[in-house]
Amino acid sequence: MTLRRRALLAALAATPFAGPARAAAPIRLGVLRTVSPAPFYIAHSRGFFAAQGVEVEFKFFQAAQPIAAAAVAGDIDVGVTALTGGFFALAGKGELQVIGGGLHETKGFELTAVLASRQAYDAGLTTLDKLPGHSFGITQFGSSFHYMLGQLAAAKKFDIKSVTLRPLQQVPNMVAAVRSGQVDATMAIASMARPLEAAGEAKIIGWVGDYVPYQITALFATAPMIATRADDLQKFCRAYQAGVAAYRAAFLRFDAAGKPLYDAATDAAITDITKYVYTGDPAAASKIKAGIGWYDLGGALDVADVKAQLAWFAAEGLVKGPIDPDGIIDTRFLPTR
Amino acid sequence: MREVGFRGGGFAPRNLPFAGALTLVLVVASWQIAASLGWISTRFLPAPLAIIQALVGLAQSGELRLHLAASLSRLAWGWAAGTAAGLMVGFALGLFSLARTPGLAIVSALFPVPKIALVPLFIVWFGIGEGSKLVTLGFGVFFPTVINTLAGVDGVSRSLIRMGQSFGLSRTAILTKIVLPGALPAILAGFRITTATAIILLVAAEMIGAEYGIGAFVLSAGNLYDTDALLAGITVLSLLGLSISWAISRLERWLLAWR
Repeated sequence: MTLRRRALLAALAATPFAGPARAAAPIRLGVLRTVSPAPFYIAHSRGFFAAQGVEVEFKFFQAAQPIAAAAVAGDIDVGVTALTGGFFALAGKGELQVIGGGLHETKGFELTAVLASRQAYDAGLTTLDKLPGHSFGITQFGSSFHYMLGQLAAAKKFDIKSVTLRPLQQVPNMVAAVRSGQVDATMAIASMARPLEAAGEAKIIGWVGDYVPYQITALFATAPMIATRADDLQKFCRAYQAGVAAYRAAFLRFDAAGKPLYDAATDAAITDITKYVYTGDPAAASKIKAGIGWYDLGGALDVADVKAQLAWFAAEGLVKGPIDPDGIIDTRFLPTR
Repeated sequence: MREVGFRGGGFAPRNLPFAGALTLVLVVASWQIAASLGWISTRFLPAPLAIIQALVGLAQSGELRLHLAASLSRLAWGWAAGTAAGLMVGFALGLFSLARTPGLAIVSALFPVPKIALVPLFIVWFGIGEGSKLVTLGFGVFFPTVINTLAGVDGVSRSLIRMGQSFGLSRTAILTKIVLPGALPAILAGFRITTATAIILLVAAEMIGAEYGIGAFVLSAGNLYDTDALLAGITVLSLLGLSISWAISRLERWLLAWR
């Protein structure tokens, strides 16, 4: 019997006993590999989850939509994602529950920019209220970009139907399309938008947060997780709240002029975050700072905003069937705004 | 002495048009029954009746017409362009030694390239408008057409061509009266493959920047997890394939009546 085969047999024999020996299965957390779930990175890096006695396993995704789909398929237990049309459709079937708040678009934080192509800018698309009659790149109908444009339209009092929506599937396509002038405008996060403007390839004509206060991401859990592991979920949420507190201490303190105060706490948090995103990137600190946005104290959920989002998606026909907003929100785990 | 019975017969499948339709109806009916009885969860697999309702809703709102019109025109132009180019190249490869080996090398090198992977390049080259969509479809149709046409031309009996030559037929007459009819069955069989390929590529072609189109509709419904609409769109694609296949059968019967 070769050594390798013996090792394999030993491993096989050990497997049935490995399961019960562990305290509990880790909580699988689905996130985008961006700065937006930073409080979770900090909580994990500093051992807040371990201190609560829960093990958390990060599962990284390329887009918001697959996070919700993976949760329904049973591949993750909790997730942080934008509440898209697809998310509401899945939640409406009783599979997912929104349990806490995440990142917010708020005045003063320049998170998501509206970009105009050079040609369109030169031809007069210099402000947001001039968007009607132009083409606009989004990822998909029912995406957070579609929602933000809908909210901008409401704020600037124009009809979203007067804008030609161009679904381009992926963010890199949106950026490429506005650079080459194939769409007149699109949206991009600050760390993508600023270099484009600096290179003269596009113009920033407004920041979403200045007009549309909006809870971009929310924390959700699957129905089986809530039904069978509510205690673990409580512990998970307490660790998340500690992560939010550390995040706010690191990034959300301001001087009298409203400028953020950065000190040793900021640097420590950036070190924690770079274990998960921008690992080894020399410009990591500035990229992370560009992605910092508002988090409510205690990871509070803006219930009214979730309801407003659902109402908009339903009104636009992007979510079908009556979905009871109270049926997809569970406020037992985290505070509400 | 053992008597040997008649051993001929068989190996001659006939078409039973009703059996085909009946099979489809039976599958759909048993699906509906299983869903109605609760054997299949309808949460993520809507029952046929729900799909039909979604289809009727789409038709009534006029949305279906917009999507179909956009897709049909793309299919028609993209397929026609790819087929025309494919026929020309296919005949050239089948008839001229100089074109044959180099052309075949290029075709063999490019045919297996997944056209979906080229969509980003097509967008840079041809824009997010109709151009990149037609090129995606045309490109997908071109290669199978070349290969089928070439196989058809190769399959034409050389003795028939020699006979034509000994009767003193001109080169043009041999091409139009012997080679073209001889290659036609293979070319028409190729049409079945290329029309299906075009429908398959429709979703890829309409991925980027399409406001209307069945492919764009299916993608959007999938993104919104609107499963009724998703399967309604897929049903439309399937019906489109069925009707095109039926049209090609009619075309075969008409063009190949001499067989």
